[in-house]
Amino acid sequence: MSATVEIAFTLNGVATQIQVPATLSTLEMLRVRLGLTGTKYGCGEGECGACTIRVDGLTLNSCLMFAADCDGRDVTTIEGLAATPTGEALKEAFTANGAVQCGFCTPGLVMQASHLLERHGHGHGHPGPEEIKRGIEGNLCRCTGYSKVIEAIAAVDVSAK
Amino acid sequence: MDALQKTKAEAGTKPASGDTLIGKRIPKKDAPEKASGRTRYIDDINVPGQLYGKILRSTQVHARIRAIDTDAARALPGVHAVITAADVPWQRPIGVSKDHLPLKSDRVRSPRDEVAAVAADSEEIAEAALKLIRVDYEPLPIVADAQEALKPGAPLLHGEDLVWTSPDGRSEVLHKASPGNVAMTFTYAQGDVVRGEAESAAVVEDIFQLHYVTHCCMGVSGVIAEFDASDNLLLHSNTQVPFLHKREFAEMLGIDPGRVRIIQPPIGGGFGSKLDIYPFEPIVIFLARATRRPVKLVYTREEEFLASPTRQPVLLKLRSGCRQDGTLTFRAVETVHDNGAYTSWGATTPFVMMQTFSSLYRVPNCDYRTLAVYTNNPYSGSFRGYGNLQATFAVEAHMDKLADAIGMDALEFRLKNAQDPGEVTPQGMHFNSCGFKDCLRTAAERSGYQQKRLAYRSKWNDGAVIRRGVGMASMLHVGGGAKIYQSDGCGTILKMDDFAHLTLITGASEIGQGSETVLAQLVCEELGLPLAAVSVVNSDTDITPWDVGVHASRTTFVAGNSALGAARKAKTKILAAAAAKLEQPPEALDLRGGFVIAKADGKRLIELSRLIRSLHFSDKAELVMTTHYYEPPSHHQDKEFKGDVSAAYSWATQVVEVEVDTQTGIVRLLNVTAAHDVGRVLNRLGIEGQIEGGVVMGQGYALTEELLVENGVVRNPNFRDYKLVTAPEIPEMDISFIESMDGEGPQGAKGVGEAPAICVAAAVANAIHNATGVRLYALPFTPENVYRALHGQAKPLTWNVAI
Amino acid sequence: MPDIATYAAPRSLEQAVELLRSGAVTILAGGTDLMVQAQAGKAKFNPTLMNIRRIPELSGIVESGGVVRIGALTTVTDLLDSALIRQRFSALWQACDQFASDQIRNAATIGGNICNASPAGDTLVPLLVLDARVVLAGKPNGSVTRRTLPLAEFLLGPGRTARKPTELLEAVEIPVPPAGFVSAFFKFGTRPALDVAVIAISLGAVRNGRTLTGVRVGFGAVAPTPIRAPATEAILEGCTLDDATIAAAAAAAASEVHPISDVRASDWYRRELIGNMLRRMLDHVGNG
Repeated sequence: MSATVEIAFTLNGVATQIQVPATLSTLEMLRVRLGLTGTKYGCGEGECGACTIRVDGLTLNSCLMFAADCDGRDVTTIEGLAATPTGEALKEAFTANGAVQCGFCTPGLVMQASHLLERHGHGHGHPGPEEIKRGIEGNLCRCTGYSKVIEAIAAVDVSAK
Repeated sequence: MDALQKTKAEAGTKPASGDTLIGKRIPKKDAPEKASGRTRYIDDINVPGQLYGKILRSTQVHARIRAIDTDAARALPGVHAVITAADVPWQRPIGVSKDHLPLKSDRVRSPRDEVAAVAADSEEIAEAALKLIRVDYEPLPIVADAQEALKPGAPLLHGEDLVWTSPDGRSEVLHKASPGNVAMTFTYAQGDVVRGEAESAAVVEDIFQLHYVTHCCMGVSGVIAEFDASDNLLLHSNTQVPFLHKREFAEMLGIDPGRVRIIQPPIGGGFGSKLDIYPFEPIVIFLARATRRPVKLVYTREEEFLASPTRQPVLLKLRSGCRQDGTLTFRAVETVHDNGAYTSWGATTPFVMMQTFSSLYRVPNCDYRTLAVYTNNPYSGSFRGYGNLQATFAVEAHMDKLADAIGMDALEFRLKNAQDPGEVTPQGMHFNSCGFKDCLRTAAERSGYQQKRLAYRSKWNDGAVIRRGVGMASMLHVGGGAKIYQSDGCGTILKMDDFAHLTLITGASEIGQGSETVLAQLVCEELGLPLAAVSVVNSDTDITPWDVGVHASRTTFVAGNSALGAARKAKTKILAAAAAKLEQPPEALDLRGGFVIAKADGKRLIELSRLIRSLHFSDKAELVMTTHYYEPPSHHQDKEFKGDVSAAYSWATQVVEVEVDTQTGIVRLLNVTAAHDVGRVLNRLGIEGQIEGGVVMGQGYALTEELLVENGVVRNPNFRDYKLVTAPEIPEMDISFIESMDGEGPQGAKGVGEAPAICVAAAVANAIHNATGVRLYALPFTPENVYRALHGQAKPLTWNVAI
Repeated sequence: MPDIATYAAPRSLEQAVELLRSGAVTILAGGTDLMVQAQAGKAKFNPTLMNIRRIPELSGIVESGGVVRIGALTTVTDLLDSALIRQRFSALWQACDQFASDQIRNAATIGGNICNASPAGDTLVPLLVLDARVVLAGKPNGSVTRRTLPLAEFLLGPGRTARKPTELLEAVEIPVPPAGFVSAFFKFGTRPALDVAVIAISLGAVRNGRTLTGVRVGFGAVAPTPIRAPATEAILEGCTLDDATIAAAAAAAASEVHPISDVRASDWYRRELIGNMLRRMLDHVGNG
């Protein structure tokens, strides 16, 4: 049996305490222990980006992160982001621009896009298509061919941030 | 007026752009939910009391199973059941040829073979239990190549009859022994290829090799099975053919099909991967029965790579010719299909391939023979395009080669042989609507194909390291369903409530392609209602009417016509009621904007919802509920594979421009100019998305994706080494729609789901040749493969088969 | 997944090396390698899992006394964001720019990349060419001591380093290069992102017009560890970059490497790429 670790962290703005096995991944903690299934299992190896979350503002593959490492940190999942103005703006942009087909990769892409937009900087307009493509190079999509995803991210109403 | 003219005329009388939904950019109805992370896919669904299933797969490529010891596994706390073939002696074989037992009994024929299965309280316990199962294997010689498998004396993979014994002791041979490892054969002929060759001024013959790729749906496979208190089966399954599966699972369990219910959760991608029954589903059903608890099983990504069906690899020999004036004379084709260890839909790809060989461009004489051969390799299923990518790769290579051989411009050569509307092919396909030539001209014009091809060709000896080229390829595919089952139909139930809100209940599944949105669009257009007024129900076999399934790019056409039929019946009923109430003839009325209007001047006469309520709450006491089952007017093929198998056909031409780095072999796909004959654009946003996604899938097939199989073993079952195209690699895309207004299609539309993936690789091969003077005959065009070809190091392809 | 008896998350270097004294510790930093290996059953986990991400002494990029010290926990994103790294150590910056994806770069640490010692490790080839040294901290006799080792001596084989089980990699030190120093990095993968290198090349030299001195050439993914190429360096040292020299260097490089064939590429192709791409890089460097 594995050692367990008691961790305390902020999850989608809510103070959370939980005991987890030392080797549990953050992805499994979110999906199985905490019932937040918006973050997806795509490969478990950090190659597809379907499990993207934000930790202390940065995007990470939650499948590669040890849950124990969430201790003391600020974690946001798609459920949390969706409830914010940025999440709303991204939802609308993805919908209006046809960037969603089967939708499985979409939460990961929306999370990564939120980080991209922030990193690009407030007041500096939009990231251009090349910057966006670079920014989502770690998110695989099999349905859309990325084209409308790039258009959607370029079209997000930044004033909503 | 004939049907085609009528549709065109109707289109002409529709109000100009403003009111109509047709051709507009309509966002997908489920997009907001998906973009918020609220959609629950199979892995997100948990049923109270569920157990977790895991499958033990073979550690051997080919071996006899001497013994399986499950004692230690059964004893592990938290394990509810451990099953092997011995526990399900009544299991029936599955798959296209019924040669595939879900749990293997005496023999394993590939590393994906399912040997045992566990149901436990958690995934961890199930995994631990798998490790405790001991299997005693006696290795057998491995057959890793189809041509080797055909040699006399090769080990036989299905050398005995598969005998099934029923619970009451009856024996039945469900699959006969396959001598010589031949799983399936097809022969097709039209005209006389010998005569055709005699009439040819130019003849070319080549061998092509098409490789293993796999679907890589972002959502991995999974299923949940549970039996209720009356022993009825409920399956949460991502099947693309729920009604066919309902019948098959019932047969498997020996129960009445009425007692099987399939619910389809939103799917994380299909692309044809879920058109057959694969062992994991029956196995989970067995576990659910054994434990009397719901059982959930979800693949790991590695398992998805190892155990899912692939695209059919093909070794292809094509000989074709033309006259000096450019008319095609004949195509003689032979193909060998590595069938893998068991037969799935991949073996039937010749059905589609023969359409391409016989009818992509006008060819009077065609001969096609093929063998599907058992080996210990992975088996293939259906995958977007279903053999057409492979066939088109060869056909379009020869179109360029023949044109060059007689000194004719490559576009003119294609135009010379492209069919026109109204043609009937020797295979019996009626090309009612046909925008083939428009596709060719549009793609060529918009890409500057002719000038660029000549210009790049003229630079062959300039010694540049980075070289550019253009290539063209076209495709033909069914666009109005495909009559391969007893019925190619789809049922719809439509009901309108007291507030003029519609519920559209359709048998057609949504697999991410946006069928739900298109069906809503068609119905709303007919009834003059906003899209927000429709809810679509499509994922429960207890509720929805029969549909054969999501395949063959059929959903817009068949389900669309079905929905339209139900909507038109509703409209007739509504207008009759309005006519009675308003004391006007029904022909003078129409529906628009939620109102009954006067056709002549568009004046609003009565709000639709008021009319509905007056119909309901009156002595008439009627509700608006209609149904329609649409069977496309296509035909089953006869014994010679001839017949008008689809109600409509679709074309596309794609011109690609590539940049080849001759010092590394890297091929960059710079741009793709595509012209697609889609009949009519319904949802412009959705159809663009389908084309863009299909092109990138074709790009992967051409340039980056390869499932490496060596001696029966998959060497790269992960995304690190199986390379999907990423965002920075996509080409610029210029997409045109040719609206040939099909007379039978809903609002003139035809199917498009598979089309965009089909001719990319063929076009890329032609483009690489245009850039470098070197032609590649084997996919994929990875940097190493291209580099080898450019430096004379390509592995020569050999053909050692007599078919 | 492996069984762990104890989990620790020390808050200081002292605490960390104290825990390491038992030697039975698996170190966790960004987790981007460790989690993959754990899931695949490829890593042998020690009874204690020690998360070092909260140790402040392991962060920071500081220039002092002619040396740039990069804390082991510096992420690839941190390196990309650093103007100092971009200006001084172009090859390292370029390697970071081609490193996996944003999500991985945000978590992966330079210390982890070094200790993982993959033959194809992206940062390793530039670090080799930049004469990097690793700083190892331990507590053998009751107080924290350090030793410094050139990177070439630290990397022993695929997944093997000279780090003792009781030691922690604390930092990487790179000497500030002389004026006129240029460096470049090239990684070959079939895609621009997410790729494990099929080959990697790094160059470093002081350039005076078209003449190079203090030449360093490094290769990755063509040997059990990233390697320097002494024969190739010798051809280039002090020479003008003309066609003949470049051709000779490319030929020497191709024969100096002994790559393997694997699922990513054949040995023949790797050798061709080394020659062709070195030539291309030298042309590029020569033309400024």
